[in-house]
Amino acid sequence: MTQAPLRDPALTLVARATPPAPKPSAERKEPIIELSHAGVTFETRKGEALTALEDLNLTIYREEIVSLVGPSGCGKSTALRILAGLQPLSSGDFWIGGGKTRQGFSEVAIVFQRPTLLPWRNVLDNVLYPARVLRGRATKEDKARALELLELVGLAEMAKRMPHELSGGMQQRASIARSLILDPKILLMDEPFGALDALTREDLQLDLLEIHARTKKTILLVTHSISEAVLLSDRVAVMSARPGRLQDLIEVDIPKPRGPESGALPAFHEYSRRIRDDIFGPRKRREVQA
Amino acid sequence: MSPAVRKVVLPVATFVTFIALWQLASVTFEIPVYLMPAPSDIWGGGQGLGLVLFDHALQTLNTIVLGFFCACCVGIPLGVLVSVNRTISEMFYPLIVFFNAIPIIAIAPILVVIFGTDETTRLIIVTLTCFFPIMVATASGMMDTPSEMLDLARVAGASTMVEILTVRLPHAVSFIFSGLRIGVTVAVIGAVVAEFVNANKGLGYLVTSSTAQFAIPTATACVVMLALISVLLYQAVNWIHRGFFAWSIKTDAGD
Repeated sequence: MTQAPLRDPALTLVARATPPAPKPSAERKEPIIELSHAGVTFETRKGEALTALEDLNLTIYREEIVSLVGPSGCGKSTALRILAGLQPLSSGDFWIGGGKTRQGFSEVAIVFQRPTLLPWRNVLDNVLYPARVLRGRATKEDKARALELLELVGLAEMAKRMPHELSGGMQQRASIARSLILDPKILLMDEPFGALDALTREDLQLDLLEIHARTKKTILLVTHSISEAVLLSDRVAVMSARPGRLQDLIEVDIPKPRGPESGALPAFHEYSRRIRDDIFGPRKRREVQA
Repeated sequence: MSPAVRKVVLPVATFVTFIALWQLASVTFEIPVYLMPAPSDIWGGGQGLGLVLFDHALQTLNTIVLGFFCACCVGIPLGVLVSVNRTISEMFYPLIVFFNAIPIIAIAPILVVIFGTDETTRLIIVTLTCFFPIMVATASGMMDTPSEMLDLARVAGASTMVEILTVRLPHAVSFIFSGLRIGVTVAVIGAVVAEFVNANKGLGYLVTSSTAQFAIPTATACVVMLALISVLLYQAVNWIHRGFFAWSIKTDAGD
């Protein structure tokens, strides 16, 4: 009892001594997404059970970018759909942001492989769509923010154009702007650059790094591309197929800010090789045995 | 010839040639008027009626348009319901298909007995004839909505109602208009059937009454008028589609 009052002032002193803004290590370790023993089983038309995802444990911390990579059918998109609230769990549990119920794009926003813009609305209205759904209408502030975001993704001139007048890359930029309209904490991206040509893809990857540096969103990214995963992520979760489960979790320690030159670093190739080995390793062993 | 000119000149030329050959054949082979009236006879029949023809045409047009409007009011919401709710779909779809399978010409006289001999009955007959293509087109359009758009709406927090209004219905618009184009031509048939069984005015009535008096040119003039109305209404639906829903018309302008 006599020691307690002594300890408290000491603690406050320490707290005061620490500058409040830059404490990256503490903030980075604050979990924001958690999947524990998550499993998804589908029933096929014939009535057979198909396990898409088995016993997935993954914690994602605030402000980090995590990539899910793996072969087709490893359940990486399923994992993302669980977190988006589009896929119910068969077993296990998860929480995202504050819990399981979400307030539209203001908590968790999603970017799909295809831009998925509504063809009957112009670019600005498409960006405003999540605000309209959530609040019934878009306020002046929403519109100002939408224009700001279009500026951020380099589409300021295109606000009044219809989606079909835009190139594929521009459409995907618009869909990224749309995902940010309600300032979500978390961005779920399902192979967002998978449908783009190689050059546009590279361009958008760098844009995403810049957007992340500015907005500090937590990003969960599903991708087929190993180099994309290494370039963008703080951690890469490698998954194996049938049944889908987590195989390896790699901390990518490449200095930031990253850019095209990061690809030339020896560490970059080291990480890429490790992921490639994770994915293709077992298959090679099987071939040797046969 | 520019494509725009060709589009007008070629069909008109074919049409004029066809009429000329018909006229020529009627004169040279001396085909009796009651068997096959020549174009000039039909023109004469129409002229004989004068403004009365337009009076009857207006009456029929009124029935068609009102009945078609009722069919839209029934068909589109029904298509939405059937496509959105599985239970409703399973409960009502077979019944609706059954009602559509009933030959409308066969029940038209029965409907007259039930609902009486006035405009209401005619409207019911027109509605029954043309709601089905509208409903089916609406349902197909609603169900054709890309799953990613539905995912987007769901993640954005849209209720079923908001999802229907902001994603499914707009996507279905081009489908609905296909249904309306079919529906409006079927509505013309419905109106004529309605006037066959129950009317003292309208082109359908005029066809039956003049045929009974062997006034074949008059009857044929009415038929030509009906065809004109049908084409006009079809084009009107097209104009509404292009004018108000231009975004839903797919162009081949690349991606």
